[in-house]
Amino acid sequence: MTEIRSGRARATAYVRPKQTSRAVRYADKAADIVVTVGGLFVILAVAGIMIFLVQVVVPLFTGGSLNESREYTLQRPEGASLAILTDDTNVLAVEVLASGKTRAVHLPTGTVLASPTIDLGGQKITAFSKSIRSDDFAVGFADGTVRFGQIGTRSTLIKASDLPPNLVRLNDLDQTDGEAVFHRRDAEQFQRTTFSVILNEPQAVAPAGRAIAQLDYRVGGTVERPTRSFLTKDGDNVLRLTRAETRVNLLTRRETTTLESATLPAMSGSGTIIGALMTAQADQVYVARENGEVLRFDTRDLGVPKLIETRRLTADGVALTTIGFLIGEQAIVVGGSDGSVNVFFRVEDAAAGTSDGHTLKLAHELERQRAPIRAIAASARNKAFATADATGVIWVRHSTSARVLMKLGESSRTEVASIGLSPRNDGVVASDASGRLRFWAIDIPHPETTLQTIFGKVWYEGFPEPAFTWQSSSGNDEFEPKLSLVPLIFGTIKATVYALLFAVPIALAAAIFTSQFVHHSVRAVVKPAMEMMASLPSVVLGFIAALILAPIVESFIAAVVLVFIALPMSLFAAAYLWQLLPPASALRWDGLPKFMFMFVVLFSGCWLSYAAAPGFEAVFFAGDFRSWVNGTAGSGRPFLVLLLLPAGFLAASALVRRALNGAMRDRVRQLGRTRAGLVDGLCWLLTLVAGAIVAFVLAYVFTAAGWDPRGGVLDTYVQRNTFVVGLAMGFAVIPIIYTIAEDAMSAVPEHLRAASLACGASPWQTATRVIIPTAVSGIFAAIMIGMGRAVGETMIVVMAAGNTPILDWNVFNGLRALSANIAVELPEAVVGSTLCRMLFLAALALFVMTFVLNTIAELIRQRFRRRAVQL
Amino acid sequence: MNAPTFGPTSYHPTKGERTSLEIKDFNLWYGAAQALFDVAMDVQVGMVTALIGPSGCGKSTLLRSMNRMNDLIDNLRINGAIRLEGDDIYGPAIDVIGLRKRMGMVFQKPNPFPMSIAENVVYPLRVDGVTDRALLEQTVERSLKAAALWDEVKGRLKENALGLSGGQQQRLCIARAVAGDPEVLLMDEPCSALDPIATAKIEELIDELRGNYTIIIVTHNMQQAARVSQNTAFMYLGRLIEYGDTKRMFTNPIEARTQDYITGRFG
Ligand SMILES: Nc1ncnc2c1ncn2[C@@H]1O[C@H](COP(=O)(O)OP(=O)(O)O)[C@@H](O)[C@H]1O
Ligand SMILES: [Mg+2]
Repeated sequence: MTEIRSGRARATAYVRPKQTSRAVRYADKAADIVVTVGGLFVILAVAGIMIFLVQVVVPLFTGGSLNESREYTLQRPEGASLAILTDDTNVLAVEVLASGKTRAVHLPTGTVLASPTIDLGGQKITAFSKSIRSDDFAVGFADGTVRFGQIGTRSTLIKASDLPPNLVRLNDLDQTDGEAVFHRRDAEQFQRTTFSVILNEPQAVAPAGRAIAQLDYRVGGTVERPTRSFLTKDGDNVLRLTRAETRVNLLTRRETTTLESATLPAMSGSGTIIGALMTAQADQVYVARENGEVLRFDTRDLGVPKLIETRRLTADGVALTTIGFLIGEQAIVVGGSDGSVNVFFRVEDAAAGTSDGHTLKLAHELERQRAPIRAIAASARNKAFATADATGVIWVRHSTSARVLMKLGESSRTEVASIGLSPRNDGVVASDASGRLRFWAIDIPHPETTLQTIFGKVWYEGFPEPAFTWQSSSGNDEFEPKLSLVPLIFGTIKATVYALLFAVPIALAAAIFTSQFVHHSVRAVVKPAMEMMASLPSVVLGFIAALILAPIVESFIAAVVLVFIALPMSLFAAAYLWQLLPPASALRWDGLPKFMFMFVVLFSGCWLSYAAAPGFEAVFFAGDFRSWVNGTAGSGRPFLVLLLLPAGFLAASALVRRALNGAMRDRVRQLGRTRAGLVDGLCWLLTLVAGAIVAFVLAYVFTAAGWDPRGGVLDTYVQRNTFVVGLAMGFAVIPIIYTIAEDAMSAVPEHLRAASLACGASPWQTATRVIIPTAVSGIFAAIMIGMGRAVGETMIVVMAAGNTPILDWNVFNGLRALSANIAVELPEAVVGSTLCRMLFLAALALFVMTFVLNTIAELIRQRFRRRAVQL
Repeated sequence: MNAPTFGPTSYHPTKGERTSLEIKDFNLWYGAAQALFDVAMDVQVGMVTALIGPSGCGKSTLLRSMNRMNDLIDNLRINGAIRLEGDDIYGPAIDVIGLRKRMGMVFQKPNPFPMSIAENVVYPLRVDGVTDRALLEQTVERSLKAAALWDEVKGRLKENALGLSGGQQQRLCIARAVAGDPEVLLMDEPCSALDPIATAKIEELIDELRGNYTIIIVTHNMQQAARVSQNTAFMYLGRLIEYGDTKRMFTNPIEARTQDYITGRFG
């Protein structure tokens, strides 16, 4: 073999080994593995984040879960059950009976413990009321007296060494001394839980001998001046509202109580009164009748209580069986004999024709139970509540999300006497007249969130109608978090849209300029410089925007608005003047002088805007932009003229072009460059005047039709606004849009450019007719990637956007974006809480948005690449 | 072989014909490297003039100089003059875009735009702002017929031009070039990327277009030059060696190098 080869005339001095060396093969294999593993790892990481987010978010939508249920058949108690309550840890349930007896039961085992009997002096309780959040309660008696007090469980932590001797074991964790339960928290600590009642002296309310039939009791005021209000209904259907204000003298510690009392107007019509309720401030009283009517009294002025409205809150033929408040004592839950459970709000409605301009409205219609509703137990933590029907089936529901969280005791056939929702919403206890006691340990961590409450309109208490609201916290304990992602998604979209409106024209103009119009040596400088802009940390941009740009824009708003008009105009004017130059001079000054000229034009445009701003403001904005924009000064017409000017100009130029037909144009063409330019200029001026007239006429027509440019996109000015965000975020996204668009345009094959130029197209025509259409997918991808960046951008919106979660397109108002919301609220969110999971959901929404945008961009780019191969 | 001695740089073919392009002592430098040396020739109206010569001798450079496509190139320097119907192409008053409208160009590699076939043809009209539909449609038909492409594409004028075969694309480019109503048609090796059948079609086409257009075609296929052209210019190392009637050039070349090249001794 070698002989043959050596005999041949060889064209190289090199004898090449024809076998791949082992090192090369190993390196190849290793690189292959590393790349594959790395790629897989990236995919796994992204998928992992996605899965993690989903897994954190899913519990928001899963309702409740039942941990365990217990049922004890105990001795039948003596007297009717008034209420049943449990302690924080669900070890003890206490039932209060009309006889004054109480019944304490160890929930995990059903052991009955010793519990005090309330000393009622031989009387029987005829009415009972307990506030939802506190231990305050009141009882009414047959003799027309009322007594107040506190009822509840007390828990204290004690050391293992302080445990009393002779404890009886209840189960692994719990022991008892017969009365209190000692619950082991850990090796060192025990929790002692007892039941306690304090009852004050009787107060006569109704005439002697008139039994108190209904009672509602509220405690309000401050620590120094507590107020107690109570509403009583006696056997004669007389409703009496009494307010007791106690003043504590800080020096002497003496308490003086003043009592005010009013009898509510007599009610017309008949019907058994099922319940009487009084709002937290005791300013509204609701009386529910069995026939479904609810009478609403205005008791703001205790001197003259007024009946405001009588409304039927159940369907025809359906009796009202029970009524109750939710936490906050504003929303009314009405249970009907058809099993219906509905929540009503008192809302402002002038059309209702009531004397206080409010009316009761059905806010949430909940799923119906199969039997008449008998009892309602409201949660002390949120808008959850439990309803028990006549067969003893108990549903745990949530008012705002209008959903049924749990269905308990579905097989039950016996009516309940009392139900209670444990303080932490983690247990439901129910007692029957037969003595049966049922307990369910449940878990409803996120009762208020559903897809509907997160992405739909939700009717919250105190709102006139359903709305998209994000308000996650407030100082008030009874505050209900409002967790709609819509205002945040809207904020993200709004910031993105305004940023892109600013960034896209500039970035694309720059991309066209450097890819088509300048020498590549200029491009070699400009492009990296633009790309360097991207390395400016966005926190710096946000900082500058909030602390420097926002105040400047605020004080020079008219000049800033003018710049957006004046700058393009002066550039057009400069271009026009330039092409008037004799060709020889134009050629001579083509390089640096032209560039300098451009800068001079830019700066003089800015300066002109600054100088002309007061005049501009006077003519178009009634002298003060900010009061003009919020609609307090001036008319919208001058600005409308300005807005319509381009449209008018286009219309006029179309007309002029049609009028000046080919023959005219040919003649103009023969005039030589400078003179043809002048004629052109004259035409242009003519068109401008005609356009202005068209705009003027249109503006008059529009304003006559009642259209004002203010309101909507232009509205009340606040300092940290979307306009500023648009500018700052525009700067953040310009480099990325520019770079990708520039690459796309530069990648258009040179032979297409040459073909276009050879056809007699100008460079600008080549750019707009060949380069841009060919690169359009790349340009589109650039915009999408810019959009992705804007959507995810955080620091600029945190700092400059004002963080107001509102649904409003106004450029001059703030916004709150998803990303900013996460950054702002994360420190407040407790791990595992609804807010925390909502923030993860916001993150997921953000992830999905940017993922979709980037995927679309990538798909378009790939298509573009495939097409580029064809070219 | 001895070092080549250069003879007269130009021969003027049959006098008395009208001159379309007049090239006078034209020199061109790419940076420091001179690519054209004292080229002088008159191109006659309505004739097909072939530029032949070995690769790198400056044929494309000369062609590109005629419609100032060279403007795109950095550090380009020229001296001498080229006149189109008496107008100095490199004169200060020249409107370069207008000049290119007078000269259609067909490139070596077919370069249709990624648009529909019809839009490709009427691109020069679009650039001029023509919106008259009837005129546009007529132009599409007439130019495609002139480029002998009409029958093949008349049913799919709205389809993307990139779907055509190479030969069809090149004929489309010719249709585009003639749609702009040029006086001169510059063709830079229009058949080098095509198969023999497509080449034959284009050659036929050039023959048909002759008379209406002044055609300058660069080719390094001697047979092609002999088949389609009336006049032939032979270039070598940036110089015009011999220029004259095609038949004479191929049967009885004056210059020894022309003889060598034509007979395939180098190139
Ligand atoms: N853009 C350019 N820059 C520098 N040199 C060039 C350029 N184009 C062509 N040349 C050189 O000019 C000479 C002539 O090239 P060209 O006109 O393309 O030859 P032909 O078309 O006859 O093959 C060659 O030496 C080539 O390397
Ligand atoms: Mg060439």
